[in-house]
Amino acid sequence: MGSLSFSRAVQAVLLAVALLLPLAAGPYWIHVGAIAWYYAMLAASWALLAGFAGQFSFAHVAFAALGGYASALGVGLLGLPVGVSMLLAIVLAIVTGALIGALVLRLSGPYLALFTLAISEIFRLILVAEEDLTRGMLGLPVPGLFSGQSDVPYYYLGLGLVVMAMLAMNWLLSTRVGLFLRAIREDEGAARASGIDTTRYKILVFVVTAVIAAIAGIYYGHFIGILTPNIAILPEMGLVIAMAVIGGIESLPGAVIGAVVVFLLSESLRAYGEWRFVLMGLALILVQRFAQNGLYPMIEQWSRARAKPRAAATVEDRHAG
Amino acid sequence: MPADPFFAVAGLAKHFGGIHAVEDLSFTLARGEILGLIGPNGSGKTTTINIVTGALKPDAGSISVEGSDMAGQAAHLFARRGVARTFQVPRLFRRMTVMENLIVPALSDASERRPSAEERARGVLAFLKLEHLADDYARALSGGQQKLLELGRALMLKPSLLLLDEPFAGVHPKLLEQIIEHIRTLNRDGHTIVLVDHNLDAVQSIVSRVLVMARGRKIADGAVAEVLQNPEVVRAYTGSRAGAQ
Repeated sequence: MGSLSFSRAVQAVLLAVALLLPLAAGPYWIHVGAIAWYYAMLAASWALLAGFAGQFSFAHVAFAALGGYASALGVGLLGLPVGVSMLLAIVLAIVTGALIGALVLRLSGPYLALFTLAISEIFRLILVAEEDLTRGMLGLPVPGLFSGQSDVPYYYLGLGLVVMAMLAMNWLLSTRVGLFLRAIREDEGAARASGIDTTRYKILVFVVTAVIAAIAGIYYGHFIGILTPNIAILPEMGLVIAMAVIGGIESLPGAVIGAVVVFLLSESLRAYGEWRFVLMGLALILVQRFAQNGLYPMIEQWSRARAKPRAAATVEDRHAG
Repeated sequence: MPADPFFAVAGLAKHFGGIHAVEDLSFTLARGEILGLIGPNGSGKTTTINIVTGALKPDAGSISVEGSDMAGQAAHLFARRGVARTFQVPRLFRRMTVMENLIVPALSDASERRPSAEERARGVLAFLKLEHLADDYARALSGGQQKLLELGRALMLKPSLLLLDEPFAGVHPKLLEQIIEHIRTLNRDGHTIVLVDHNLDAVQSIVSRVLVMARGRKIADGAVAEVLQNPEVVRAYTGSRAGAQ
């Protein structure tokens, strides 16, 4: 079995498990699962931005906060219908993503990381300071999307959003744009000399990933029912990066699996208090040391290595026959 | 000078702080011509290549490609116009396959579809004798193969002007002959070429005209045999004392 079919088979099985989980799991784990989809969207879109396009942005959770707050304020402050408010938040993410994408065009590596970190912190501090608008650390109430107390509708909505985001990002990567983004990641100067308008594609990837992060934030806000500026703190960004890196920064399914596994693990280890974060840090170090591309690509490689001798044996059998 | 040159540079200048990397450089190229751009280290050859391919913006001067002034335009616009280049040290898309490296420039033209890009890439690989490496990652190639792949990537732009920056540097002698032959073939096929290299024997074996730069300025331009006898060129290469002797 080739790596691609292995990957598809794994994704199909995991999707089936995710679809059936609410039938077997209790309300707590359904709630945890619904939050995991928020992180899955963030980790996968960050993997597209950093792993495929080479743009190490630390402003990703700020886009989630932007989406969540914009949608909440649209409903609460402007009195807009929820759907319109969500669309407005997405448009805002498109504009902001394009602006930040244009601002950081000439930056790369640590400079890009620091610049986007500063942008993210400025945005978070505005959320803290503008109490009249955002209620600061008290938290901004966000209306729910479904009636009733069950988290199941949110769980399936989150899962649906993850699937749609994955389909959209996979489609993008399968087009020439995906090829150009990887070329830009490898060598921007050489990409320009190859005729690629790198400005255009760098802004495009910022916009696409900002929109997915904003959608994640909109979903999270309406699900949890309250938003605080803590949604955009640096440890949250660190968590998203850890999820993507552990799962596989250059693999969209890897980032999703990384997000779900890391989040479920951190919830399972709640009894250990702060020690669970030490364990997470250790896991990150071990993955970086022994599986630099992340766990999912490592498993894919292992399946490929296993498939090769089997394929060779089949050929030998055929010759023998 | 041709009446209507295919490529013309006039009064080109580029300064980095107080350093005059290129100063008042002018030259023209006729379609199908091959020019050797030579000069000692730090004479401004690579800066010139960078300017005339859009990687650097000039401080002054014009760059005319088939009659349109392109000075200061972005590198991808030069590439789309058919001005293709290679780099001193190959700058490949290392974690992409050889085939992917080749189809990137082809697909930068929105009208080209992937199947036709791959077909052209297979043709280029056959020309460069690299067909067997199509699915290998670029980082797995030897230094010489990387130089060839970079030449192939430039060819995928269907270039009207090829600027080759030190294509012979660090290449095994056997591969050197192959690269020389490829450049000759490309020129025979009508490509206009600017060849920058320190290997004067190799350059002389291909070009009939050389332009010599020293300290950012053009000091000679003409037939190889004449230019290499030019006392100023001799001084530039051997140092003022040796030149004076």
